[in-house]
Amino acid sequence: MKFAVKALSSGKARAGVVHLGSCPSPIETPCLLLSTRKGLPIFISPDLLSSLPSPDSNLLQFSPLHFSEGPSPKTISSIGGLHQMVGLHEYGFAAVARDSIQCLPECGSTNKTGASFETPCGRRLIKPVEYMEMITSMKPNLWATLADEVPAWANNKRNKTSVDRTVKWLDECIARSP
Amino acid sequence: MALRFEVLGRFNRARAAQLTLPHFACQTPLFMPVGTQGTIKGLTTDQLEEIGCQIILGNTYHLALRPTSELIDELGGLHKFMNWPRALLTDSGGFQMVSCITNLYVAGIFYTQWHFAYIFQVSLLHLADITEKGVTFQSPVDGKPMLLTPEESIQIQNRIGADIIMALDDVVRTTITGPRIEEAMYRTLRWVDRCIAAHKRPHEQNLFGIVQGGLDPVLRDICVRGLVDRNLPGYAIGGLAGGEDKDSFWRVVAQCTAALPEDKPRYVMGVGYPLDIVVCSALGADMYDCVYPTRTARFGTALVPEGVLKLKHNAMVNDTRPIDPTCACMVCKNYTRAYIHCLVTKDAMGSQLLSYHNLYYMLQLSRNLHSSIVEGRFVCDFLQKMFPKGDVPEWVCNAMDVAGIDISSCCSS
Repeated sequence: MKFAVKALSSGKARAGVVHLGSCPSPIETPCLLLSTRKGLPIFISPDLLSSLPSPDSNLLQFSPLHFSEGPSPKTISSIGGLHQMVGLHEYGFAAVARDSIQCLPECGSTNKTGASFETPCGRRLIKPVEYMEMITSMKPNLWATLADEVPAWANNKRNKTSVDRTVKWLDECIARSP
Repeated sequence: MALRFEVLGRFNRARAAQLTLPHFACQTPLFMPVGTQGTIKGLTTDQLEEIGCQIILGNTYHLALRPTSELIDELGGLHKFMNWPRALLTDSGGFQMVSCITNLYVAGIFYTQWHFAYIFQVSLLHLADITEKGVTFQSPVDGKPMLLTPEESIQIQNRIGADIIMALDDVVRTTITGPRIEEAMYRTLRWVDRCIAAHKRPHEQNLFGIVQGGLDPVLRDICVRGLVDRNLPGYAIGGLAGGEDKDSFWRVVAQCTAALPEDKPRYVMGVGYPLDIVVCSALGADMYDCVYPTRTARFGTALVPEGVLKLKHNAMVNDTRPIDPTCACMVCKNYTRAYIHCLVTKDAMGSQLLSYHNLYYMLQLSRNLHSSIVEGRFVCDFLQKMFPKGDVPEWVCNAMDVAGIDISSCCSS
């Protein structure tokens, strides 16, 4: 992946461009990632997706937790990764553990071993090693570390703990990075 | 008359033809997906064109309720309203009112999921009443009694603007016996005259009559001759696909196709399963419609040459093969059974992808029937894949006997 800032405003805003291996054209930033459910935008199959403006619609966000109930990381690997599995070979995927709709961080249940999420399959605790197993099998272009996400009204102690844990998990994720 | 029907090839009773309608030149045999509310659930009109859909069926009853035929007319007709450039067929609106309670209850579950719940209220069906005037029923919207007459049905269909419109018939289920069937058959003939008189657009829309008569060959014969006398552009065989046994079903189709004119299209309403379509085509029918492919997709079932594949099954969890390796559709080219399994019944995309595949399968079946009827191998190829052990059902063997098609190579006995 390559990212370059192309222009700066008089303030902090910047216009840039992102080059991803799987995308044939570079993508201008700021850009909107399309949210997906199990790798596909809701109601939009690949043949319909191609009718959206390109390359602006070529970057998709997904949550590995959408696949908690299958297919397994082993099966996803044998298919060849997420791009292959959902038939979007020329698109870029960014993995984030949480989405804003159905995989919501449950900071009260998160502990030192892993992050907890409310999902359609119930509450799940994900450890860095499991998260990285999913990332390795899915092969997204970009991925965010597993984090201990807390809401803005968390108290100081909880806030500090979340930062310490997130940094620790970042190291563990990097260590297992494909 | 606003159509041309030209037989291009035959094999005994089976025909491959070109049916030229105002909006599209179609090849028969053909399958028509059902687009109840001006849309096929899960697919856009672009996708339907892409997979080779030729005619879509719209339900007059649903469209008349919502958004009303007047609004559709005002906005330029259903083709324009739903952005479908090819052909459309509307039914008369009668069947929806007297359909089996069980079917609509099941449908109600799905329509609830797709936010059409208020259309299907089971209580409606208890109050459908048929008289010489028409069909009286209770409006599901406000409970008022409403009457659908042959005249009203045709007026609504004139406003909707489909290429083919259906006469309002008095339809009874074939599982019923007694004088009601005879009454319904004669009434159907009287109503078709009223439909013909009410039809304001005969040069743009083709009115098809519907053969009724239950499972009684005498009644069916009277009805066929009565409709043929009226010299309509095309004919449908109605009152089937409602739970009668297969042996009775094919015999009625065989009798009607033998008696209906050679040079006009024959439409078997509500059919159906791929096997039924192959058999009816062998007996000389040309057009079919059914909700089965899309409805079964929403249950997680895919249509394949061997029969059906239940994607919900645990065996699919890690199966990295496509649904059908011989299928060229977008779904089979891009997706594994494992991925579809994780979607079905949990995410709308599962229904969408399976609906896409199932319709592609039915339309490909139609194309194969059209292109292979001339060669005469069409029945055997199909049966060999579906019954590899040679256990072809007896009713199919009997029907093929009458159709004059030798399937001994596909049968074990």
